[in-house]
Amino acid sequence: MGNTHPYTVLAVDDNLLNLKLIEKSLSKEGYQIFSADNGPDARSIALEKLPDLILLDIEMPVENGFDVIKKLKEDAATNAIPVIFLTGVSEVDSKLKGFELGAVDYITKPFHPQEVLARVRIHLKLSIATNSLIQDQAAKLRQVTKAQVAMLPLPEEYPTAKFGVYYRALQEAGGDFYDILNISEHITGYFVADSSGHDIETSYMTASVKALLAQNCIPVYSPAESMKMINDVLVEILPQGKYLTACYMHINRTTMKLTIINAGHPPVVCQPVKGEPFLIKSQGDVCGMFSDAHFGIKRINVSRGDRFFIYSDGLVESAENKITWASGADSLLPIYKTLVGVPYGKAPEEMISQLFGNDTYPEDDIVLLCIEV
Amino acid sequence: MDFKHLASKIGLDDEDFMELVELFITTTLSDLEKIKQGVAANRIEDVVASSHSIKGAAGNMGFDDIFTLTKKMESESKAGSLENFDAYILDLENQVMEITTN
Repeated sequence: MGNTHPYTVLAVDDNLLNLKLIEKSLSKEGYQIFSADNGPDARSIALEKLPDLILLDIEMPVENGFDVIKKLKEDAATNAIPVIFLTGVSEVDSKLKGFELGAVDYITKPFHPQEVLARVRIHLKLSIATNSLIQDQAAKLRQVTKAQVAMLPLPEEYPTAKFGVYYRALQEAGGDFYDILNISEHITGYFVADSSGHDIETSYMTASVKALLAQNCIPVYSPAESMKMINDVLVEILPQGKYLTACYMHINRTTMKLTIINAGHPPVVCQPVKGEPFLIKSQGDVCGMFSDAHFGIKRINVSRGDRFFIYSDGLVESAENKITWASGADSLLPIYKTLVGVPYGKAPEEMISQLFGNDTYPEDDIVLLCIEV
Repeated sequence: MDFKHLASKIGLDDEDFMELVELFITTTLSDLEKIKQGVAANRIEDVVASSHSIKGAAGNMGFDDIFTLTKKMESESKAGSLENFDAYILDLENQVMEITTN
């Protein structure tokens, strides 16, 4: 709907004279008119030309106006086009039915061309206003996405954390999130979370969790204590029914001890420098739901060169193939083995391209971290 | 019949209006033919549809007498009665003729 293009109106009426009359009076005012004298033609023109507005006669042989609008509203391509009905003056039921089927207005017949013009004008104005509102909102959402991505730490900013990452958000406000915490010179925290939603609220939650991590993942707290503090605050601030699944991994590269706190998140994969990859499973409540939540805790000794993979369920879950992370995580183990020779910075991307190929896309948000001790 | 007046009433210039009048005459004569055949063969639906079609066009053009007449034709035929149609058809032919010679 730019200024350089004329607004387009599709007029549908089996009465040729009415069509011509509409065409003459609207084109005089600068509109471009497409016309159809039957339902099927109207639908194919609507789909091909995507007019800004449709004037639709109800009483037509074979396929009447009700059938036409029903089909237009069912098709995503044409469903937002405003439709004005042309209807006989006494047909109250028709008018009601028209509105019910999604018409924005009606014009009674016999119509006065000036009335048609006035109604077309009003509804185009309304539709322009609605569209620009939607575009404003989409632009704001895109800013949120940018802000959200800007909050995610990049590997080159944290060289001592020795990690690589693949991150992809499907919607404007993604539900997946990760953070890296330099707790001390040799201690690093890695946090991956997936929130129960993909809306704006979720993206504000990301900012809150990031702040909470910075406040609570400090040397004086054990990893379990950090997570407990974060959980208790989230219980207070999250809207009803919202929660996170999260995994917090804490590596001390001096004592070579690793701690994993799991809050309802898929299991971490360990690829030891020597040996087969395995899952580190631990049961635990989700984060942000219960103030007395109990998280799974695992402590293990690690060696230099051991690798750990933390990911969100989008990696191992496929709604289409009905795979959940309980079974999906196991089936992926052989792939980790093939990544041994790949530098940790490149491993996540390599894993995704092995899993999804280069042109199919994951069905959900995905975050995948590869961390080397 | 004052075409200039009718044209300005619906917001068209004379030239556009005359083009529509010609179209009106053509479509109305063809509908009138269908009405005659429909009455002869007692095909009520055809009579209803063609009366409706003329009514719609006449209403929009501002041909009020034809509109009133065909409205009556539509409602009577819808109710199943064609008995007054010989007179109606004659009346309609005269009125279309009047437009043609205008």
